[in-house]
Amino acid sequence: MGLTIRPCSATFPAVLVGVRLSAAGRVAGIVAKEGARIESGPDGNGWRIGVAGRWTLDVAGPAGEALDGMPQPAEETAVRLDLTDVDALDTVGAYLINRLAEGLRAGGHTVETIGLRPEQAALFAAVHDACKVPPRPIEREHHPVIDMVVRTGETTVTAGKELLNLVGFLGLVTVTFARLVVRPSRLRLTSVLFHIEQTGLNALPILGLLSFLIGVVLAFQGADQLKRFGAELFVVNLLGISVLREIGILMTAIIVAGRSGSAFTAQIGTMKVNQEVDAIGTMGLDPVELLVVPRALALMITLPLLAFYADIMGLFGGAVMAYATLDITFGQFIRQLHTAVGINTVLTGLVKAPVFALVIAMVGCYEGLKVSGSAESVGIMTTRAVVEGIFLVIVIDAVFSILFSMLGV
Amino acid sequence: MADLPELRRGAEAPPVIRVRGLVTRFGPQVVHDGLDLDVRPGEVLGVVGGSGTGKSVLLKEILGLMEPAAGRIELLGHDTAALGRSERTALQARTGVLFQNGALFSSMTVAENVMLPLKEHTALPPSLIAEVARVKIAMAGLPPDAGTKHPAQLSGGMIKRAGLARALALDPDILFLDEPTAGLDPIGAAAFDTLIQGLQRSLGLTVFMVTHDLDSLTSICDRIAVLVDRKIRVGTLAQHLADPHPWIHDYFHGPRGRAALDARERTAGPDAALRKAKG
Repeated sequence: MGLTIRPCSATFPAVLVGVRLSAAGRVAGIVAKEGARIESGPDGNGWRIGVAGRWTLDVAGPAGEALDGMPQPAEETAVRLDLTDVDALDTVGAYLINRLAEGLRAGGHTVETIGLRPEQAALFAAVHDACKVPPRPIEREHHPVIDMVVRTGETTVTAGKELLNLVGFLGLVTVTFARLVVRPSRLRLTSVLFHIEQTGLNALPILGLLSFLIGVVLAFQGADQLKRFGAELFVVNLLGISVLREIGILMTAIIVAGRSGSAFTAQIGTMKVNQEVDAIGTMGLDPVELLVVPRALALMITLPLLAFYADIMGLFGGAVMAYATLDITFGQFIRQLHTAVGINTVLTGLVKAPVFALVIAMVGCYEGLKVSGSAESVGIMTTRAVVEGIFLVIVIDAVFSILFSMLGV
Repeated sequence: MADLPELRRGAEAPPVIRVRGLVTRFGPQVVHDGLDLDVRPGEVLGVVGGSGTGKSVLLKEILGLMEPAAGRIELLGHDTAALGRSERTALQARTGVLFQNGALFSSMTVAENVMLPLKEHTALPPSLIAEVARVKIAMAGLPPDAGTKHPAQLSGGMIKRAGLARALALDPDILFLDEPTAGLDPIGAAAFDTLIQGLQRSLGLTVFMVTHDLDSLTSICDRIAVLVDRKIRVGTLAQHLADPHPWIHDYFHGPRGRAALDARERTAGPDAALRKAKG
C-alpha cells in the first residue's frame, strides 16, 4: 500500500495518515483516527470512499476531523460509499457518514452507498430521515446598545403595568370586603383565625428575639456616642423615639413580608398549579373572597399587635443593655421614657401597621394568583412577593414620614 | 467505557439486566421478596403490576437511585453495588431514562436539555454536539423549532418526545421508560409506541418499560413482567394469558385487556400497526 507516515501527537495518539500513489498517478489517502478509518481515492472511472472501523460517539470528535481532512474527488464523479468494514455504528457515526454523503451530493457528485448490514441500514435510514429536517433559520443579531434600550423599556412598561394591576387588585379586594360588610355571614371566620395563628402567634419567637437584639444594638451604639457628652440618660429618649416610631413597626413589617407574604404566595401559587383555584371558580365560589380576604384581614389584625410586641421587646432589649453598660436601672429607664415619649409616639408607629399589613397581603396574594402552570413559577413569584412587599413597605414608610412632618406630628 | 463488554444479540447472550434475590422493605412493609429478573439484549420488556407492587421502586433500584435491602443487581454484567464512582458514571452513560413527566430541566431549552449529557460525557466539538442534538430531536419526532423552546411551552406529548431525545442522547444500550404513554391521548400514545419501536429496532436498544397501557403491552413488548406476590413473573403475552394467577387473569382478561387483545388481532400484530402508521 505504499508509504505510511505515522506522526505521534500527544493529544490524539492514534493519528496515522497513509498516502499512496494509485495507478492513475493521483493522490489518494487513508485517514484513521481513534479506530475510525476512511480510505478515499479514485477507483476505475469513479471515486471510492471506504469507511471502516468504529463510528461511535466516543471517537466521533476525531472521526469528524478525519472526514474533514479526507481527500475530496475533484469534479462531478460517481462516488461509491463503501461501508462494508464498519464494525460499530451509532447515531453520531451514522450522522457523520450521512453528512459526508449529503455534502458530496451537494457538490454535484452522485453517491451510492453499499455494504451496510441490515441493522445498520435501519439506523442509517432513521438518521437520514431525521437529517432531512431543515435547520432552523439563524436569528438576526441585535446591537447590544439597542438591546439594552429595548430591555429598559420593556422592564419599565412591565413595572408600570404591574403597579396598575396591583391597584386594580386592591380595588377588587376592597369591593369584596364591602360585600362582606353587607353580608358578614359569608366571611370565613375559621380561615381568618387560622391565618391569625399562622402569621401572628407563630411569628412571636422570631420577631421577639430580633426586636430584642435590635434594641440591644441601638442602646449600645447610642450609649457609645452619648457618653462623650455625658448625656448617657438620653439613650432612653433615642431608643424610645426610634423604636416606637420607626424601628419596631418597620422590623415587624419586613419580617412579616418575608415570613407570611412569601407563605401566601406559595400557598395560593401551589393551589393555582393544582388547579384548585380554577376548581373554586367553577363551583361558583369567589377565589378572592375565599383565599385573599381571610389572609388580608388576618394580617391587618395581627400586624398592629405584632408591632406593639416588637416595640416592647425592642425597649426591653435597650433597657437590659442600658443597665449593663450605663448602670441605668429599670426604674430610671421607665421614668425617663415617660418624659421622652407620649402616647402619640406609640400611635404614630402603630397607625402604619394596618396599611403595611394590607400591602404585604395584597402583594403576596396577587403574586400567588399570578402563578402559572409550573412549580418553577411558584418559586419565582414567591421571591417577587417578598422583594415587592419589602420595597413597598419602605416606600410607604417614607411617604408616612413626609406626611407626619407636614402634619407636624 | 471501553472496558465494558460489547453486547451480543441472541438467546445465549448474557442478560443486560440481571436481578437476583432482590428484597425491598419500607419499615415493616415488604415490597419485593427474593425477586429475580433477566432482561435479554435487544428485547422490549413491559413491566406491569398493581398500585403499590413496587414497579417504580424496582426501576429506581436498577437505576441506582435507591438501595435495596438485599439482593444483587447487574447492569451490562456489572454489579451496580460494587462499582466505583467513575465506573458508575461510565455505566450511566450507557443507560437512558425517560421519566414519567419528562423531567426536562425547566430552565433550559429542549436542545440544551439534549446537549447536556453530550457535553458532560463526550469531548465532541460544540458545533457537532449541536448538530447531533438536532438529529436526536428530529428522530424523536419533534418539529425543528421545538429545540429552541422551553419545556413549559411544550404539550405533554412533546415533553415526552423531548425527554426521549435526551434519554437517547448518548446512544445508550438500555432505555428505561416510566409510563411512557401515560397522559397522552390514544392517537399520541399509539404514535409514541410506534416511535419507540422504530427507535428500538434502528438503534438496537434494550427497552425496560414500566407501563399500564395494555395497548403498548400487546403491540410493542416482546415479553411482559408482572409484579405479583412480591415477586416477578416474566413471559410472553400468550404465557400470561394462560396464567391462572387471579391478578394476572383479571389483568389480561378484564374488559380493557380484552379490548386491547381484540385490537391487536384486528391489526394482525405490531408490524401491521407500524406499517399502517408509516404508510
